[in-house]
Amino acid sequence: MRPGRSLASAAVAAAGVAALWGQQFQFNLDHLKDKATDHVEVSLNSNTLQFAAKFMDGKDPDEAKVKKLLSGIEGIYIRSYEFKTAGAWSPADLDKVRNQLKTPEWSKIVGVKSNEDGENIEIWLRTEKGKVSGVAILASEPRQLTVANLVGNIDLESVADLGGHFGLPKVPKKK
Amino acid sequence: MDWLEEELKQALARKEPGAGFDARVRARLHRRPPQWLAVAAAIVVTIGAGEAWQQYRGRVVKEQVMTAMRIAGSKLSRVQAQMKVSEQ
Repeated sequence: MRPGRSLASAAVAAAGVAALWGQQFQFNLDHLKDKATDHVEVSLNSNTLQFAAKFMDGKDPDEAKVKKLLSGIEGIYIRSYEFKTAGAWSPADLDKVRNQLKTPEWSKIVGVKSNEDGENIEIWLRTEKGKVSGVAILASEPRQLTVANLVGNIDLESVADLGGHFGLPKVPKKK
Repeated sequence: MDWLEEELKQALARKEPGAGFDARVRARLHRRPPQWLAVAAAIVVTIGAGEAWQQYRGRVVKEQVMTAMRIAGSKLSRVQAQMKVSEQ
Protein backbone atom coordinates (compact mmCIF):
# COMPACT_ATOMS: atom_id res chain seq x y z
CA MET A 1 0.00 0.00 0.00
CA ARG A 2 1.22 3.47 -0.83
CA PRO A 3 2.16 5.50 2.26
CA GLY A 4 0.04 8.43 1.12
CA ARG A 5 -3.02 6.27 0.71
CA SER A 6 -2.58 4.53 4.07
CA LEU A 7 -2.19 7.90 5.76
CA ALA A 8 -5.37 9.14 4.10
CA SER A 9 -7.22 5.98 5.17
CA ALA A 10 -6.03 6.44 8.74
CA ALA A 11 -7.17 10.05 8.70
CA VAL A 12 -10.61 9.07 7.42
CA ALA A 13 -10.88 6.33 10.07
CA ALA A 14 -9.83 8.76 12.80
CA ALA A 15 -12.42 11.28 11.62
CA GLY A 16 -15.07 8.56 11.75
CA VAL A 17 -14.10 7.60 15.28
CA ALA A 18 -14.12 11.25 16.32
CA ALA A 19 -17.56 11.77 14.80
CA LEU A 20 -18.90 8.73 16.62
CA TRP A 21 -17.41 9.75 19.95
CA GLY A 22 -20.33 9.99 22.35
CA GLN A 23 -22.78 8.81 19.73
CA GLN A 24 -23.64 5.10 20.04
CA PHE A 25 -24.13 4.32 16.35
CA GLN A 26 -23.56 6.03 13.02
CA PHE A 27 -26.37 7.62 11.07
CA ASN A 28 -24.85 7.67 7.56
CA LEU A 29 -27.72 9.84 6.36
CA ASP A 30 -25.85 12.92 5.17
CA HIS A 31 -26.70 12.15 1.54
CA LEU A 32 -30.39 12.83 2.31
CA LYS A 33 -29.74 16.42 3.30
CA ASP A 34 -29.68 17.65 -0.30
CA LYS A 35 -32.91 15.86 -1.16
CA ALA A 36 -34.78 17.12 1.90
CA THR A 37 -36.98 20.19 1.87
CA ASP A 38 -36.44 20.58 5.59
CA HIS A 39 -33.96 18.97 7.93
CA VAL A 40 -32.87 19.06 11.54
CA GLU A 41 -29.42 17.92 12.57
CA VAL A 42 -28.56 18.02 16.24
CA SER A 43 -25.35 16.72 17.79
CA LEU A 44 -24.90 17.69 21.41
CA ASN A 45 -22.43 16.06 23.76
CA SER A 46 -22.49 16.04 27.55
CA ASN A 47 -20.55 19.30 28.00
CA THR A 48 -22.79 21.17 25.57
CA LEU A 49 -25.91 19.82 27.26
CA GLN A 50 -24.71 20.96 30.68
CA PHE A 51 -23.95 24.36 29.17
CA ALA A 52 -27.44 24.51 27.65
CA ALA A 53 -28.99 23.54 30.99
CA LYS A 54 -27.66 26.77 32.48
CA PHE A 55 -29.82 28.73 30.06
CA MET A 56 -33.03 26.81 30.77
CA ASP A 57 -35.65 28.88 32.50
CA GLY A 58 -36.84 27.00 35.58
CA LYS A 59 -40.10 28.97 35.52
CA ASP A 60 -41.01 27.72 32.05
CA PRO A 61 -42.70 24.31 32.50
CA ASP A 62 -41.19 22.79 29.32
CA GLU A 63 -37.70 24.08 29.97
CA ALA A 64 -37.88 23.02 33.62
CA LYS A 65 -38.81 19.50 32.56
CA VAL A 66 -36.06 19.32 29.94
CA LYS A 67 -33.53 20.70 32.43
CA LYS A 68 -34.42 17.90 34.84
CA LEU A 69 -34.12 15.31 32.08
CA LEU A 70 -30.73 16.65 31.01
CA SER A 71 -29.17 15.59 34.30
CA GLY A 72 -29.33 11.98 33.09
CA ILE A 73 -28.56 12.58 29.41
CA GLU A 74 -25.00 12.44 28.12
CA GLY A 75 -25.69 13.17 24.48
CA ILE A 76 -28.43 13.96 22.00
CA TYR A 77 -27.94 13.13 18.34
CA ILE A 78 -30.80 13.57 15.88
CA ARG A 79 -31.20 13.60 12.13
CA SER A 80 -34.65 14.40 10.82
CA TYR A 81 -35.50 14.95 7.16
CA GLU A 82 -38.70 15.97 5.45
CA PHE A 83 -39.16 15.46 1.73
CA LYS A 84 -41.46 16.95 -0.84
CA THR A 85 -42.34 13.59 -2.33
CA ALA A 86 -42.41 9.98 -1.18
CA GLY A 87 -39.55 7.69 -2.12
CA ALA A 88 -36.77 10.18 -1.50
CA TRP A 89 -35.30 7.93 1.16
CA SER A 90 -34.87 4.19 0.77
CA PRO A 91 -35.41 1.36 3.27
CA ALA A 92 -31.70 0.63 2.86
CA ASP A 93 -30.97 3.96 4.59
CA LEU A 94 -32.76 2.70 7.70
CA ASP A 95 -31.32 -0.80 7.37
CA LYS A 96 -27.81 0.63 7.67
CA VAL A 97 -28.80 2.12 11.01
CA ARG A 98 -30.83 -0.88 12.16
CA ASN A 99 -28.00 -3.32 11.43
CA GLN A 100 -25.76 -1.48 13.87
CA LEU A 101 -28.32 -2.08 16.61
CA LYS A 102 -28.22 -5.84 16.19
CA THR A 103 -25.80 -6.33 19.06
CA PRO A 104 -26.37 -7.80 22.54
CA GLU A 105 -26.47 -4.32 24.12
CA TRP A 106 -29.37 -3.17 22.01
CA SER A 107 -32.89 -4.54 22.08
CA LYS A 108 -35.97 -3.39 20.26
CA ILE A 109 -38.55 -2.66 22.92
CA VAL A 110 -41.38 -1.50 20.73
CA GLY A 111 -42.27 -1.07 17.11
CA VAL A 112 -45.48 0.47 15.86
CA LYS A 113 -46.75 0.65 12.34
CA SER A 114 -49.65 2.70 11.11
CA ASN A 115 -51.16 1.47 7.88
CA GLU A 116 -53.21 4.63 7.71
CA ASP A 117 -50.37 7.08 7.11
CA GLY A 118 -47.48 4.65 6.59
CA GLU A 119 -45.78 5.71 9.78
CA ASN A 120 -43.33 3.29 11.30
CA ILE A 121 -41.60 3.89 14.64
CA GLU A 122 -39.11 1.64 16.38
CA ILE A 123 -37.72 2.22 19.85
CA TRP A 124 -34.49 0.47 20.73
CA LEU A 125 -32.96 0.43 24.19
CA ARG A 126 -29.30 0.00 25.03
CA THR A 127 -28.53 -1.51 28.41
CA GLU A 128 -25.19 -1.93 30.12
CA LYS A 129 -24.90 -3.83 33.40
CA GLY A 130 -28.66 -3.77 33.78
CA LYS A 131 -28.90 0.00 33.35
CA VAL A 132 -30.31 1.95 30.43
CA SER A 133 -27.44 3.68 28.66
CA GLY A 134 -29.09 4.82 25.47
CA VAL A 135 -32.16 4.99 23.30
CA ALA A 136 -32.48 4.80 19.55
CA ILE A 137 -35.57 6.06 17.76
CA LEU A 138 -36.12 5.11 14.12
CA ALA A 139 -39.17 6.83 12.73
CA SER A 140 -40.23 6.86 9.11
CA GLU A 141 -43.11 8.07 7.04
CA PRO A 142 -43.30 8.18 3.25
CA ARG A 143 -42.08 11.79 3.25
CA GLN A 144 -40.19 11.88 6.53
CA LEU A 145 -37.28 10.10 8.15
CA THR A 146 -36.02 10.61 11.69
CA VAL A 147 -33.25 8.83 13.53
CA ALA A 148 -32.36 9.76 17.09
CA ASN A 149 -29.83 8.58 19.63
CA LEU A 150 -30.29 9.75 23.19
CA VAL A 151 -27.27 8.71 25.24
CA GLY A 152 -27.47 8.11 28.97
CA ASN A 153 -30.02 7.02 31.49
CA ILE A 154 -33.15 8.15 29.68
CA ASP A 155 -36.56 8.28 31.29
CA LEU A 156 -38.71 7.41 28.27
CA GLU A 157 -41.93 8.26 30.05
CA SER A 158 -40.73 11.80 30.76
CA VAL A 159 -39.45 12.32 27.21
CA ALA A 160 -42.77 11.05 25.83
CA ASP A 161 -44.52 13.41 28.20
CA LEU A 162 -42.76 16.27 26.42
CA GLY A 163 -44.57 15.29 23.24
CA GLY A 164 -47.78 16.35 24.94
CA HIS A 165 -46.17 19.40 26.47
CA PHE A 166 -44.99 20.72 23.13
CA GLY A 167 -48.48 21.22 21.80
CA LEU A 168 -49.13 17.64 20.75
CA PRO A 169 -52.01 15.72 22.28
CA LYS A 170 -50.94 14.11 25.52
CA VAL A 171 -51.62 10.42 25.75
CA PRO A 172 -53.68 9.57 28.82
CA LYS A 173 -51.82 7.34 31.24
CA LYS A 174 -53.13 3.97 32.35
CA LYS A 175 -55.09 3.98 35.57
CA MET B 1 -18.09 104.87 32.99
CA ASP B 2 -14.39 105.42 32.30
CA TRP B 3 -13.34 103.24 35.16
CA LEU B 4 -15.48 100.38 33.77
CA GLU B 5 -14.02 100.71 30.29
CA GLU B 6 -10.59 100.75 31.79
CA GLU B 7 -11.29 97.59 33.79
CA LEU B 8 -12.65 95.80 30.71
CA LYS B 9 -9.74 96.87 28.55
CA GLN B 10 -7.35 95.47 31.10
CA ALA B 11 -9.29 92.24 31.52
CA LEU B 12 -9.68 91.64 27.81
CA ALA B 13 -6.29 92.92 26.77
CA ARG B 14 -4.34 90.61 24.43
CA LYS B 15 -1.68 88.68 26.27
CA GLU B 16 1.13 86.87 24.56
CA PRO B 17 1.51 83.21 25.61
CA GLY B 18 4.55 82.21 27.57
CA ALA B 19 7.65 80.92 25.88
CA GLY B 20 7.25 77.35 24.59
CA PHE B 21 3.43 77.38 24.83
CA ASP B 22 3.03 76.53 21.14
CA ALA B 23 5.50 73.63 21.38
CA ARG B 24 3.79 72.24 24.49
CA VAL B 25 0.37 72.29 22.79
CA ARG B 26 1.73 70.57 19.69
CA ALA B 27 3.49 67.93 21.80
CA ARG B 28 0.32 67.18 23.76
CA LEU B 29 -1.67 66.79 20.54
CA HIS B 30 0.68 64.09 19.36
CA ARG B 31 1.03 62.34 22.70
CA ARG B 32 -0.38 58.76 22.79
CA PRO B 33 -2.75 57.75 25.58
CA PRO B 34 -1.07 55.74 28.33
CA GLN B 35 -0.47 52.10 27.43
CA TRP B 36 -2.37 50.82 30.49
CA LEU B 37 -5.47 52.60 29.19
CA ALA B 38 -5.26 50.75 25.85
CA VAL B 39 -4.73 47.43 27.65
CA ALA B 40 -7.65 48.07 30.03
CA ALA B 41 -9.92 49.02 27.13
CA ALA B 42 -8.93 45.86 25.26
CA ILE B 43 -9.65 43.72 28.33
CA VAL B 44 -13.07 45.33 28.86
CA VAL B 45 -14.00 44.85 25.18
CA THR B 46 -12.76 41.23 25.20
CA ILE B 47 -14.68 40.35 28.37
CA GLY B 48 -17.81 42.05 27.06
CA ALA B 49 -17.60 40.34 23.69
CA GLY B 50 -16.88 36.98 25.36
CA GLU B 51 -19.89 37.31 27.64
CA ALA B 52 -22.15 38.32 24.75
CA TRP B 53 -20.89 35.35 22.72
CA GLN B 54 -21.55 32.98 25.66
CA GLN B 55 -25.09 34.30 25.99
CA TYR B 56 -25.71 33.93 22.27
CA ARG B 57 -24.22 30.43 22.16
CA GLY B 58 -26.25 29.44 25.22
CA ARG B 59 -29.50 30.53 23.60
CA VAL B 60 -28.65 28.70 20.35
CA VAL B 61 -27.74 25.46 22.15
CA LYS B 62 -30.84 25.68 24.35
CA GLU B 63 -33.02 25.97 21.24
CA GLN B 64 -31.26 22.94 19.73
CA VAL B 65 -31.95 20.93 22.89
CA MET B 66 -35.60 21.98 22.92
CA THR B 67 -35.97 21.09 19.22
CA ALA B 68 -34.34 17.69 19.77
CA MET B 69 -36.56 16.97 22.77
CA ARG B 70 -39.60 18.10 20.81
CA ILE B 71 -38.79 15.63 18.01
CA ALA B 72 -37.92 12.71 20.33
CA GLY B 73 -40.90 13.47 22.58
CA SER B 74 -43.33 13.56 19.69
CA LYS B 75 -42.16 10.19 18.36
CA LEU B 76 -42.36 8.54 21.77
CA SER B 77 -45.73 10.14 22.34
CA ARG B 78 -46.94 8.71 19.01
CA VAL B 79 -45.77 5.26 20.10
CA GLN B 80 -47.68 5.63 23.35
CA ALA B 81 -50.77 6.71 21.44
CA GLN B 82 -50.53 3.75 19.03
CA MET B 83 -50.05 1.33 21.90
CA LYS B 84 -53.02 2.81 23.69
CA VAL B 85 -55.17 2.38 20.59
CA SER B 86 -54.07 -1.23 20.10
CA GLU B 87 -54.73 -1.99 23.78
CA GLN B 88 -58.30 -0.79 23.33
